[in-house]
Amino acid sequence: MSQVVIPKVLVTKIGFDGHDRGSRVVAAGLRDAGMEVIYTPPWQEIATVVKLALEEDVDVIGISSLATDHLIVPKLMLALREAGLNDVAVIVGGIVPDTDEATLLEAGVARVFHPGSSMADIAAYVHELAVVGRTQRVAV
Amino acid sequence: MNEAIRTEVLSEAEAYGAWQQDYATSIGVDKTVVNRSGVPIQPIYTSRDWNSKDHSADLGMPGQAPYTRGIYATMHRGKTWSQRQLTGLGTPSEFNARLLEVLAQGATALSPIPCNSVFRGYDMDESHIELLGTCGTVINTTAHMDRALQGVDLAKISCAQNDPTPFTLLAFMLAAARRRGTDWKSISGTSNQSDYLSHYVANHMFFRIALPGARRILTDHIEFCNRFLPKWNPMSVVGQHTQQAGATPAESMAFTLCTAIQNAEDCMARGMDPDQFLPRFTFFFDVSISFFEEIAKFRAARRIWAGLARNRLGAKDPRSWRFKFHAQTSGVDLTRQQPLNNISRVTVQAMAGILGGLQSLHTDAYDEALSCPSEFGARIAIATQNVLREEAHLTDVIDPLGGSFYVETLTDQMQAQIESVMQRVQDAGGMYKAVECGLVQGMIGESARKFQQKVDSGEQTVVGVNAYQIEEDSSARPVNTRPDRASMQRLIDEFKAFKAERSQSAVQTALDALARSAGDVKDNVFGRVVEAAEAGCTHGEICQTLRREMGFGHVQAIV
Amino acid sequence: MSQPKLPQHHWAVPAALLAGDRRVLARSISLIEHGELAAGLVSKALAPHLGRAHVLGITGAPGAGKSTLVHAMLGELLARGQRIAVVAVDPSSPISGGAVLGDRVRMGEHGAHPNVFIRSLATRGHLGGLSQSTEEIVDVMDAAGFDTIIIETVGAGQSEVEIMRVADTRLVACAPGMGDNVQAIKAGILEIADLLVVTKSDLPGANATARDLKDMLHLRSAQAAATWTVPVLQSCATTAAGVVELLDSIAQHAKVAGHGRRLAARRPPKAAVALDSTALVMHLASVDPFAQSLGIRCTEAGKGTATVSLTLQEQHLNFNGTCHGGLVFALADSAFGLASNSYGKVAAGIDAHVTYQQAARLGDCLQARATEVSRSRKLAVYRVDVTRADGAVISSFTGTVYITGMDIAAAAAHAAQETM
Repeated sequence: MSQVVIPKVLVTKIGFDGHDRGSRVVAAGLRDAGMEVIYTPPWQEIATVVKLALEEDVDVIGISSLATDHLIVPKLMLALREAGLNDVAVIVGGIVPDTDEATLLEAGVARVFHPGSSMADIAAYVHELAVVGRTQRVAV
Repeated sequence: MNEAIRTEVLSEAEAYGAWQQDYATSIGVDKTVVNRSGVPIQPIYTSRDWNSKDHSADLGMPGQAPYTRGIYATMHRGKTWSQRQLTGLGTPSEFNARLLEVLAQGATALSPIPCNSVFRGYDMDESHIELLGTCGTVINTTAHMDRALQGVDLAKISCAQNDPTPFTLLAFMLAAARRRGTDWKSISGTSNQSDYLSHYVANHMFFRIALPGARRILTDHIEFCNRFLPKWNPMSVVGQHTQQAGATPAESMAFTLCTAIQNAEDCMARGMDPDQFLPRFTFFFDVSISFFEEIAKFRAARRIWAGLARNRLGAKDPRSWRFKFHAQTSGVDLTRQQPLNNISRVTVQAMAGILGGLQSLHTDAYDEALSCPSEFGARIAIATQNVLREEAHLTDVIDPLGGSFYVETLTDQMQAQIESVMQRVQDAGGMYKAVECGLVQGMIGESARKFQQKVDSGEQTVVGVNAYQIEEDSSARPVNTRPDRASMQRLIDEFKAFKAERSQSAVQTALDALARSAGDVKDNVFGRVVEAAEAGCTHGEICQTLRREMGFGHVQAIV
Repeated sequence: MSQPKLPQHHWAVPAALLAGDRRVLARSISLIEHGELAAGLVSKALAPHLGRAHVLGITGAPGAGKSTLVHAMLGELLARGQRIAVVAVDPSSPISGGAVLGDRVRMGEHGAHPNVFIRSLATRGHLGGLSQSTEEIVDVMDAAGFDTIIIETVGAGQSEVEIMRVADTRLVACAPGMGDNVQAIKAGILEIADLLVVTKSDLPGANATARDLKDMLHLRSAQAAATWTVPVLQSCATTAAGVVELLDSIAQHAKVAGHGRRLAARRPPKAAVALDSTALVMHLASVDPFAQSLGIRCTEAGKGTATVSLTLQEQHLNFNGTCHGGLVFALADSAFGLASNSYGKVAAGIDAHVTYQQAARLGDCLQARATEVSRSRKLAVYRVDVTRADGAVISSFTGTVYITGMDIAAAAAHAAQETM
């Protein structure tokens, strides 16, 4: 079997908001770009997201946030670190004010995608994160 | 230029032929134009496409079936549309302060938005404190509701509640009204967005209880309101969610009308008479920036609904045939880039809704795409409506676009699109079944993807996003306000104390009765919710009890 | 650009895996999924640690309600105090190669339970290799200490038959329908099913579908051993009706025939000559890593004869879009090897010759049938014809073997020792 990297991506929403048009479009777009996507409905608990990321050994987690749910993404970053998942990259897409964007990046989020981002850009970035992540993987 | 100046009078056919030639030689590349619903759009419309002689029966007069031109004889000239702005932030006291301001600025009706934690059915002490009160007000008890509506005479001011199954917030409002001595018969408003199916397929904002339970509670709710709240509209069928999720305007309208039929048939199966409940059915729509398409969409809907109510549902009272709707300008069309442009967008959207004959309007703030709207933005949104009404005089003429060759043709074409989607849903066994099997979700997702492709490819321009971009100074963007953490913590502490001090036995008795009602088809679940509200039960306790009995609503993950 | 890494040929069993560390389990599965380890390496290394788990395979046409059924079963198994691992297989898009792995979400909130571990797998078009990967992933889960392992697959193609062979107990789910649903069940899957279940039994037509399934069982060519009669059950996941009975029936099968069956198939028989030729050849075919990796299946065997088949996939083609000559050779050689070894003594190929008469294409089902031309004490000659489903002869092959004195069982043990 050749070792072309096929990124495994989790697309999900945490917190209380349920608007998932963006996350569905992104999930379909990543699939069409040749990736394996685990897509969940909104309202996932942080602990569930961590468990899922661990079991499926995902390369990237994409969090979609419309309202203010991005405010608990730092809690997710902490939970991922506590579970030993430091090398899982996290991106956030949606409505994030500039001041909050800086906070997210400090908390370890790789990048924030704002409304108007193109699907091609998102897919290219996720692919890059996955490739880099795999080469840096510590052997089990 | 060698253009012969035409001095002779041409016949209509000659004039048209001459125009066609001129057009063909001057146009260069003539792109095909198709609107969001897929209707091809011509460069011009004439009496060949529509004329009043042949089509006046389809048109009618305002206030007469089929109501294409409006549901009332006077429309906005008689009574302007309601300015019903959504408001909500922070704690009940903070909300109350903002509410009184909004009333002073000219809002004639209220529509409080509760916190997302409330939408999900959780109390404040079960939720992440970071998320409390950021986009809506935290209301978990009757006392909170009373405080939030301090100074508002419920007998005089219409107050909608944005709170679907099991309609706890309305229950709190009724309990507060009883405490104040306000007669329930005088309370007016709407159970906004009480349409559980639209939440299930598209918005998911409010989805709490599994589909079969949500269906039962809605029917109970309609029955209860019919009996005890003669001025209340318990049914708000929603088109906004599906359109915002990506359905085309025609698809969204079709899904909405099919849902209305589904809900009406559920009521009739319960033994209710259509003329009893249909006059209190209202609709809620998204208004996008596709200006003429939206106007045509609403005109077509009035016509379709009049026929459905009369012929399919058998309603005899003309009030049952009237398509009453509230519209909200579409947040999906707004951009984060160059946000002030959103003021123009909202103005165009609002005009489309007004010229489409809405009964009530919410205009979005320009900073919707940046964060939950600021006070500054909300003020401009209200002013937009005032400008349209009082400076542009949009209330002076009823259905001003009626008779326009384009608008009438497009109304007919939108009707055809809507009806064909409705047929697909009916073929699947009606809206409930179509949602259960995922047909509706699949169609929405497909339309969403297609639109995204058009934007990504540049075929659909979005100013500031894929065209006319500029370097922007992010410091120029408004800083959004977050609720005061300290006052939220105080509210949580007060809430915990309240729970400890209230009568546990009264609470338990009410929750037990509520739980039993879920399994007893002869009981009215919403009636028990109201009793629970009066006994001091919290929102989370009520939702939790019903989730346990009726199942937690899980959304299908269809991509 | 870096070269793709070659698969490793060494893998030490992590102690943490055996201790139940979930992260190590997930990472080990990834090594298999990403093709970083040589085929068969993991199963071999884990051999002493296998056998605790009962492996249940569930398949059925799309829409049969498998994920919902698994959800209901998870609830009941958790209530019985079990630890359950699930492998959920979803098809990759033939256009983009990507996939949306939606099964685990359809399994509901049990995915969040600490005693449940779910791993989603995409088919990726490597249909021959998928069953190999699944087998190794199941082994890793077995070694990690799960009581039940559920494999859920789509049931839309031949690969699903292969994957079901990885299971100890094989369940086929079918929704009530107008007969199309029953017809949609591939004959190959029906041959190996141990239980059939009609899902969504609250819908009309459930009883009729159950009857149709019972009728189809009579058409099975390989009648099961007398120890187990294939039952046709009904279940309704939303009301949980029939789930307890289904699990009890599965447990019964495990006790009587199932548990450990998948491992028994791997162990070389102690006295190879005591086994009849057919059973021996079928066993040898299943433990041939190269043939397995290509997706070659043995369909018939006897003393001095063997028939194997293969359906051509993308990876079997050459640069002209026709079947690679090496693949045709491999198919013929497999039949040759099996037929010549059917007597229980190790037979080593010393000469082979092949001609290619016609081209074969993607999707063609090829069959290679070996017959014995002559056999003496030390030498035997076989002829193999490779034919297409329409009867066209694709290739003709002749091969000679040298018959050693070694018994086949002894040879396998000798080879295993050499790699340690």
